[in-house]
Amino acid sequence: MRFGLLMTVFLAGASLMSLEMASFRLIQPEFGSDIIVWGSLISVFLGGLAVGAVFGGRLADRGPRLWRLGAILVLAGGVTLALPLYSDAVLDWMFPGEGAPLPAEWGTGGDSHELVVYQPPDLRWATLGAGTILFGLPALLLGTVTPYTARLFIHALGKVGTGVGHLYGASTVGSILGTLGTAFYLVAWMGTRWLLASNGLLLVGLGLVLAVADVLGAKPDPEPVS
Amino acid sequence: MKRTVVFIVVAAGLMLGGVAVWVGAQAVTESEKVRYDRESRYYRVRVVDYLDEGRRCLHFSRSRGIQSSMILADPTQLDLRYSRTMMAALALHPAPKDVLLVGLGGASIPRFMNRHWPEIRLDVVEIDADVVTVCRHWFELKGAPGLRVIVMDGRMYLKRSRKAYDVILLDAYATDRIPFHMTTLEFVQLARSRLKAGGILVSNLWEPTANRFYRAELKTFQTAFPQTYRFEAGTSGNIVVFSALDPNPTTKAAWVARAKALAGDRDLKFDLPQLVADEYEVLTGRRINAEPLTDDMAPVDTLRREHPKHFETAGTGG
Repeated sequence: MRFGLLMTVFLAGASLMSLEMASFRLIQPEFGSDIIVWGSLISVFLGGLAVGAVFGGRLADRGPRLWRLGAILVLAGGVTLALPLYSDAVLDWMFPGEGAPLPAEWGTGGDSHELVVYQPPDLRWATLGAGTILFGLPALLLGTVTPYTARLFIHALGKVGTGVGHLYGASTVGSILGTLGTAFYLVAWMGTRWLLASNGLLLVGLGLVLAVADVLGAKPDPEPVS
Repeated sequence: MKRTVVFIVVAAGLMLGGVAVWVGAQAVTESEKVRYDRESRYYRVRVVDYLDEGRRCLHFSRSRGIQSSMILADPTQLDLRYSRTMMAALALHPAPKDVLLVGLGGASIPRFMNRHWPEIRLDVVEIDADVVTVCRHWFELKGAPGLRVIVMDGRMYLKRSRKAYDVILLDAYATDRIPFHMTTLEFVQLARSRLKAGGILVSNLWEPTANRFYRAELKTFQTAFPQTYRFEAGTSGNIVVFSALDPNPTTKAAWVARAKALAGDRDLKFDLPQLVADEYEVLTGRRINAEPLTDDMAPVDTLRREHPKHFETAGTGG
């Protein structure tokens, strides 16, 4: 069972980073490849993780159940599966510059001998907004996984350090493999939409496995830490 | 004692080596003068004068890969081979009035066009504001009636602007850095939608190894346009693809004749009609064993690394 929990955080970590790589590919065609785009998306994922960690920890202390962890993963997978359905609409909606003066209306270069230079629009808030709408919820849900799992995983107060260490280790190794696997192979093999769909299916599958394990009577529940 | 001798010999050797490297570096700097070397938001921008050759070059990294080259004694001459080939677009279109250039580089095309056809209105989209500044200071980019520079991502500009052009020149691929969102069918179709009737889209590719990306990119242009042509810019390794909205093919003779008319009695410093005659090659209808790139599936870096063993050039049919 403990191995199963380590695998859960491992796969959730891999999926999270795979989604982050996919988010770059999804947003670049509309918002460009500026460092603003990369910075915004990384912040969105970290923000989701932070909020998710707080919620996940609280939820876990209300009575940790394996099936609830499974339900969170099914929800994260479901949101990810639905993402391609509305991503275009969100990106179009958040795209900056609708209504702003368009170059065709900016007049000609004029007769002056000063070079006419038009400066770029401010992309920061639009990118941050689009990233939050699209990826904030999946990142938040995945952020709950590690603290929630910690409550299931750690059986004695004296083992908290070891337990948390193992979980973070497994989660981070998963994140590395998710990042490299996506960057080196998956983007080229399946493209962005299938990448999102695969991650969604993986998370739904993982959640269902945990729920079934709970029903079959797996007993990860620790003795109350007193 | 022995150790001391060994130490002294090694130390002396290192010092001599260091001096040799320093002298070598001095020798290099005598023929090369670095005018500008700074990190911008996107690149490391370097401007280097090669005094022996009388050239000023723009580099986007430490490498010697040249983004642009200007002959100091004759700045309006087009120095790089592919930029001359791209100018054939102005002859493929019967009467270009509005031209868009995506990717400023060292401003060689704006200098050249302003010198010879100042009546053609030119918009330039460049993502990096520092490149614009560098061009003003080091590459003689000056204000002119009808010249506008827009600091923006090329695809974002095309989406925002509703202005239509006769010719769109794409020169936004650095050799080691190709923005995938400007390679896809969606992008090419967006550019096509910003062309007036009879408009031309021209793209510069630098793919000397004829890899899978190159093939997929040719297929992408071929899919989006009724007529396509592929010019090999001499031995430079550059390929220039011309995509035309006009459903009727343009023959070599017609294109050469228009190039003659376009050049007129201007001293372009190269033979444009001859260039068209030498490099003219029809791409329309030829078999390309590849799928077009899409926003969803454009693994540009992966494809560029892959060189199929049995490579077919752009097809064997005619």
